[in-house]
Amino acid sequence: MPPGDLAIWFFIFAELLAFGIFFVAYAFARAHNVELFNESQQHLNIASGAINTLVLITSSYFVVRAVAAIRQNLARECARWIAAAIGMGGVFLVIKVIEFHAKFSAGISLSTNTFYMFYLSLTIFHFMHVILGMVILAAVMLKARSGGYSGENHAGVETGASYWHMVDMVWIILFPLVYVIH
Amino acid sequence: MDTVHRPHFIRSSTIVWLALMFLTLITYAIGEAKLGGWGVMLMVLGTAVIKVQMVSDHFMGLRRTRWLWRGIVLGWLLLVAGLVTIAYLSAVK
Repeated sequence: MPPGDLAIWFFIFAELLAFGIFFVAYAFARAHNVELFNESQQHLNIASGAINTLVLITSSYFVVRAVAAIRQNLARECARWIAAAIGMGGVFLVIKVIEFHAKFSAGISLSTNTFYMFYLSLTIFHFMHVILGMVILAAVMLKARSGGYSGENHAGVETGASYWHMVDMVWIILFPLVYVIH
Repeated sequence: MDTVHRPHFIRSSTIVWLALMFLTLITYAIGEAKLGGWGVMLMVLGTAVIKVQMVSDHFMGLRRTRWLWRGIVLGWLLLVAGLVTIAYLSAVK
């Protein structure tokens, strides 16, 4: 069986399916508007996209460390690693808000053109998943801190970790697809 | 995950993390250099596929589960990457 609660995996697969459809729709929309997509893409901040990728990958690594800690019955260490992962999630959100602010200040919106419709929809959709992931991790952290998990009973930690890794995986594709490939 | 040999598991996870960071920097460099074309597209998309598989196998721990679970994620990944590739190649024509 996969790590964590089985129910979260059906949720994860549903999320992957939704993002997958979004990615494919983006690619085929681009195929019909190559020049528009390439021109609009040049105005994206590749550095912030790359930094956010590094941030999410690092947060995923912290979650791996949290799972490893609780499997050794180290609940406090587990809570600390999760707190660090949540902190990295916060960094991601701040960078993204700065990016959104720059775009909205420039008068860019969902109706600007097809590229920006996809760019804003995809990144805001993912943004909401990061927030949800942070809420889940926060609940897991609080329970770990209060001694709710142990070396034998830690399915909740694995469940939160699996969801967070999914959020990371989706961004790993989103970044090159929307920011880099042209 | 390997609970018996924790130092080994942490060491291997750290190596995977560093590899993911390195691959991200390569993608970033390609983006900043404004490199394009289908060859670059395949390389960047292929790098993303490898990274997702590394997260799935090593961070999610799916390589230690039944093939079904690993296969669902891998199947999703290859299907999405394949369709994206078809879309990009059809645009070049």
